[in-house]
Amino acid sequence: MVLTITAIISYGLWRARGTDTTDTYLRAGKTMPWYAMALSIMATQASAITFISTTGQGYVDGMRFVQFYFGLPLAMIVVCMTAVPVFHRANVYTAYEYLEKRFDAKTRTLVSIIFLIQRGLAVGLALAAPAIVLTVLLGWPDQITTLVMGVIVIGYTVMGGVKAITWTDFQQMLIMMAGLGTALIMAINLLPEGIGLTGALTVAGAAGKLNPVTTDFSWTDRYNIWSGLFGGMFLALSYFGCDQSQVQRYLTGSSIAQSRLSLLFNAIAKIPMQFLILLTGTIVFAFFTFIQPPLLFHPGDMAKLRQNPDYPAIQQRFDNAFRQRHEAASKMVHGEQTRAEFKSAQQEIDATRKQASKITGGNDTNYIFLHFVTNYLPPGIVGLVIAAILGAAMSVISGEVNSLATVSVIDIYKRLFRPVAEDGHYLWVSRAFTAFWGVYAVLTAQFAKNLGSLVEAVNLLGSFFYGGILGVFALAVYFPKVGANAAFIGVLTGEAAIFALHFTGAASFLWYNVAGCIVVIFTGLLISSFEREPQSAGK
Amino acid sequence: MKQVIDEPPPFLGSWRRIYLLVILYLITLITLFWFFGKAWS
Repeated sequence: MVLTITAIISYGLWRARGTDTTDTYLRAGKTMPWYAMALSIMATQASAITFISTTGQGYVDGMRFVQFYFGLPLAMIVVCMTAVPVFHRANVYTAYEYLEKRFDAKTRTLVSIIFLIQRGLAVGLALAAPAIVLTVLLGWPDQITTLVMGVIVIGYTVMGGVKAITWTDFQQMLIMMAGLGTALIMAINLLPEGIGLTGALTVAGAAGKLNPVTTDFSWTDRYNIWSGLFGGMFLALSYFGCDQSQVQRYLTGSSIAQSRLSLLFNAIAKIPMQFLILLTGTIVFAFFTFIQPPLLFHPGDMAKLRQNPDYPAIQQRFDNAFRQRHEAASKMVHGEQTRAEFKSAQQEIDATRKQASKITGGNDTNYIFLHFVTNYLPPGIVGLVIAAILGAAMSVISGEVNSLATVSVIDIYKRLFRPVAEDGHYLWVSRAFTAFWGVYAVLTAQFAKNLGSLVEAVNLLGSFFYGGILGVFALAVYFPKVGANAAFIGVLTGEAAIFALHFTGAASFLWYNVAGCIVVIFTGLLISSFEREPQSAGK
Repeated sequence: MKQVIDEPPPFLGSWRRIYLLVILYLITLITLFWFFGKAWS
């Protein structure tokens, strides 16, 4: 595992040799081929969270989470048609630079600050997930594991810049694919004799876990086909069209066509990949239907629960429910009609786990897959899966830290504080900001470990800000008559609307992007209709 | 704005056709998932 990670980082740094200008450090000199960008984009999203939290999501909530990605291919098409050619022609380092060309400096600065806040908070979450892995694996305290991960990532990101990140991402994504495929095959192979894939799917289906398409509509339901197609599309549009951590990946492309191909590869590969990850979670669920799991998967929470006077009774209740579910599942797999007994036992297990979680105050969704990997897979495979998880973690953290540094330097430092200086100075400042954001990630990760399912926490956080950012980019690209002031006020109004929506609980978070974007566009158009003449770029 | 050549895709001749292919792929995928869910529910 250590060798694999060392080899990947060394390869990335070797490919990044000659990174001695701001352009090569932040944009790889616009030389990257589509396949490197494509896997880098996938790796930047497929974080450790994807592995440990999405499999946990599959175990707990089934496969309906895959619908969240249904809007992604549509968003990719829109980004390829609009953002990619616009950013390439504008020859920008960041997406927000374009906003000054189109509107003015204050709109660019506002959106840059929103990005720094949102992505700055998310990078802590991204670092917390692999820290969980190392804590479970090595038994180290959370603080130490976070620090170790942070130092490794900061090291190669500061040294090699975006080129090192892209090539390490490329390797890490290949390891992740191997790790994912192996974990799924091993989960199927480890099922008890006579169960097999068909038996596992029968059990998971009876528990309501095999639900990749749900057509019932509700504003407050997080995952259904409608929220996935529309809300998911808006979120993906914001993410790939306006979020520097993604935009920076395809801005390194040697041409518009190379950047487009990298995004369209994601449009095709992302949904099947998420499907397989969730399927792995549901197979693990079937596995633990026949092999008794712990009451709680989080070792720390379990230890805490054992100290509680109610523990023996809760454990007894769980053991009884497990036996009933096991018996019903065994009969069901062999064709007997025991679905009602199975469901009843499943509800009892869920209620018992909820009771236990209430006592500990924790959430063990992120520990389910890890428990399976570390306790049931052979040592060599454990190493591969752990290397894949850590590789995934490093790719996302390095990408985010790099994009945060780029926006800090280009949109804030260079634009507001030091517009004229030698290229060497900006290169030095870029490295310094990269180190700063890495340290910041380590510190915020300390607060991110008890946010329930980390993958949901990241998406929820993004939804607070993405709608507003998407709205202003939509105004910039599609509404040429809208001026700077209208766009600026539009962003503020859109953000206010999103927070109002959240605190009133009127809709699920996937709709925040849609609502925020619409409010920004509407406000921008309304204000511009009162203005005598539209304001033009940079005035 | 910098002059950047918008090259055609390496296959299918135009980007419009590529985008159409992606939409058809999405529809097929959702349909397959729907049948998968129905088969095991």
